[in-house]
Amino acid sequence: MAGLTFSNVSKLYAGTPALDGIDAEIAKGEFVALLGPSGCGKTTLLRLTAGFEMPDRGRVTLGGRVLADGTVFVPPEDRNVGIVFQSYALWPHKCVAGNVSYPLEVRGIAASERKRRVAEALELTGLSSFADRAPAQLSGGQRQRVALARCLVADPQAVLLDEPLANLDLALRGAMQEAFAAFHRRTGATMVYVTHDQTEALALADRVAVMESGRIRQFAAPETLYDQPQDCFVAGFVGDGAVVKVDRAGTPVDGEVVVHALGQEIVARGHGMTPTHICIRPEQVRVDSDGSIIARVTSCTYQGGRFRVSLEAAGETLITHVPIRAKIGEELRLSLQYPWAFCDPVGTTAIPGQAHA
Amino acid sequence: MIASTAPFSRSPDRLISLLLLPVGLIALGPMLRLLGEGFGVGSELTLGHAAEVLGRASTLTALQHSLFTAGTGTLLSIVIGSAFAFVVALTDIRAKAALVFCLMIPMMIPPQITALAWMQATGPSSVLLKTLGLAPPLGSPQPLYSAWGISLLLGIQHASIIFLTLRAGLRMIPGDLVEAARISGARGWRVWAQIVLPLSLPSLAAGAAMTFVTALGNFGIPAMLGIPARYSTLPTLIYQRLVGMGQTVLAEVAVLALLIGVVAIAGVLAGRLFLQRRAYGLVGLASQPLSLSLGRKRPLVEFILWGFIFFTLVVPLLALVSTSLIPAYGVPLTLDTATFKAWVEVLFNQPVTRRAYANSLLLASAAALILMAVCIPLAWLMQRRATQLTRVIDALVDLPYALPGVVLAIACILAFMRLPFGITLYGTLTIILLAYLSRFLVVMLRPVQAAIGQLDPAMEEAAASSGARLGRRLFDIVLPLSAPAAAAGAILVFLTAVNELTVSALLWTGGTETLGVVIFNLEDSGDTVMASALATSIVAVVIALMAIVQLSASRLPKGTVPWQG
Repeated sequence: MAGLTFSNVSKLYAGTPALDGIDAEIAKGEFVALLGPSGCGKTTLLRLTAGFEMPDRGRVTLGGRVLADGTVFVPPEDRNVGIVFQSYALWPHKCVAGNVSYPLEVRGIAASERKRRVAEALELTGLSSFADRAPAQLSGGQRQRVALARCLVADPQAVLLDEPLANLDLALRGAMQEAFAAFHRRTGATMVYVTHDQTEALALADRVAVMESGRIRQFAAPETLYDQPQDCFVAGFVGDGAVVKVDRAGTPVDGEVVVHALGQEIVARGHGMTPTHICIRPEQVRVDSDGSIIARVTSCTYQGGRFRVSLEAAGETLITHVPIRAKIGEELRLSLQYPWAFCDPVGTTAIPGQAHA
Repeated sequence: MIASTAPFSRSPDRLISLLLLPVGLIALGPMLRLLGEGFGVGSELTLGHAAEVLGRASTLTALQHSLFTAGTGTLLSIVIGSAFAFVVALTDIRAKAALVFCLMIPMMIPPQITALAWMQATGPSSVLLKTLGLAPPLGSPQPLYSAWGISLLLGIQHASIIFLTLRAGLRMIPGDLVEAARISGARGWRVWAQIVLPLSLPSLAAGAAMTFVTALGNFGIPAMLGIPARYSTLPTLIYQRLVGMGQTVLAEVAVLALLIGVVAIAGVLAGRLFLQRRAYGLVGLASQPLSLSLGRKRPLVEFILWGFIFFTLVVPLLALVSTSLIPAYGVPLTLDTATFKAWVEVLFNQPVTRRAYANSLLLASAAALILMAVCIPLAWLMQRRATQLTRVIDALVDLPYALPGVVLAIACILAFMRLPFGITLYGTLTIILLAYLSRFLVVMLRPVQAAIGQLDPAMEEAAASSGARLGRRLFDIVLPLSAPAAAAGAILVFLTAVNELTVSALLWTGGTETLGVVIFNLEDSGDTVMASALATSIVAVVIALMAIVQLSASRLPKGTVPWQG
């Protein structure tokens, strides 16, 4: 596989680990998102891939070539990796075409060839009519695309994107997300995308690496992260819903397991070890007059077409969606539809604040 | 595969670090050499020699004179500078930019020209006064040839230092502190006296310390006014000893130079001490703290400020121009007698003045260009690859500029007089150039540092990802983006170097005169008319260069132009 690999990569800042034993393989042409709260190490991992940071331990390879390990360190100039910065980092003293052609100038590519490839990159990003503009004369979305064109013009082995949409307004973000996805389909470049916005990560990436405290907690396809989170952190960070500790549980057989939680026997999905927690997504909570769980409404917010309701049941908070407004304090009967049961590797891991979809 | 095999080596980085060596040597070497000389390093380690020089009556008198003139001059600067700062920063007077520009001119004009201009505006032989029929009777004394005369001109020359530091301090005061006072019921003047003034005292103290040190090291004014009156300060004492006795008294003047250095440092430390005790941690968004409306008094205030500019700047310069236009000293200026003879003489005929122009322009351009070439990589190194060493150098490069010029001049003589292999730089233009490089490094470095500090590091990282190595990144990205600041810094270095007298007065010999030296010598030998013509031409060059900087100020990064805040 000629992709990007990390084996046991660690990086310390003043004694505290920013990255702690990262192991990951990214296939050639794959679009991967690094998702996590601020300070989780996702940007450090990106900068380490670009060559702006050196790992203290471990090995990074790209296309079979070692970029960094104990004895080799390839500086960023020689990595053939493109990067789009959060601030775009367009050079204000060069016009759009000047910015885009710079990587080719540095590589000593002949002027005619350069002109052709710059025109191609501008065409691909829809910037052909802006070639002679100064970066200051462009809108945020246009600057973003110049940065993208500049990093692609040299045909890099990997494209790194550092929160590229963080500085854009909501409407533009949607448009740019589509542009990135279309772009990835057309070029087939290996792309690593850093973001703290899970909607962005889940919408764009083939696979998402959820990071926390310098470690990758789970690296899987978006739907797997949502349906089958591996631990409490991922369950709480990705998607809406509740994470509930189970009192006791059986052993999973054929993908099913019976757990005891919320004072009930609950049939859940599960594999492998005896579960310690269940992750209950809103759509797995059904308001049901025959349901065995009695819950009290604690809040109700309108989300366009439906209401998001928080409920308290047996000391735990559950989330569900209902079509009509519920009154605060109202009592409802609920039933659960196959929540996901898993074994949290560290029983004591703090569950992050319930993310709101 | 292009992987570099050396483990984690960034060889260009190490190469660029070598830059610190010459910078350290030239900026700090002479100072260390001077320190050694004072303690008798080389012969025998003793303080006896120093004690003997310090005990002399002439030393004590000069020290007293220095303290008196610098002290009273500083007080005067505080009065003028703070009045201007408060009015410009806190009230609604008009044409602030023009006023500030005019207030800055005295600081940018060489002090010996200031002295010459004032001498032409006062006293019985003033051409201007005689033409207007206002001259005092012949035989009455020149009032400026006195301790008070020196204090007066020092006070006017350095008022802008107080102005700049105080205005910068006033801009740091958070607006909500003033708003809180106004909500409490205090208005206008009460807010100024009870909130703004106490909060601005620290910056006033910092400015006062800086002014005192600058006044202490001033050579041009006490040389022009004090030497005729036999009133010597430490810088003029050093000059007279060295000119009179030559290199035999080097050890002695080294002690005197150290004495000035010690007094200067004491002044700075006193300022720091005050600051530490009175420093308030100001928190909050800074803005114009107070916007006092002067109402009907505004024309009066403007009249007073512009009147001050008129009497301290316009009148002396007019007097200088008048003197430069007469055919010979003593002839009154009328439409018939007015002539450009002296101008033609100094600019085209006299070999000494032409040589001085060439020398000064050469030295100033060379210093500006070399410093520009050094400071961009140096500032980059200090910003992006900061180490303990770069931080130490960053702190110490202020020293050659902050300490009085005579101290640096003596230090340079000591350091470069006897180099290995029998080489001596004494009496060459090179020694003056080295002294300039040492002294003005910081003038160039600070604006470039400000510019590079504002650059997004991602711009360079983007270039690195594009494949550009360090040298190429510096040339393609950092250089163009810091060039405006470097150009402004180069003009400032050029201005200061052209104006420079103190260092070159001690380092020049026949053939290596600078403009400052020639003006001084012309006046000293009685050629006042030619001195005035030469001085006026320099003032014109200075004001033109300042105007260029002023006009390009809006295109430069904040903090580049010293008199723009």
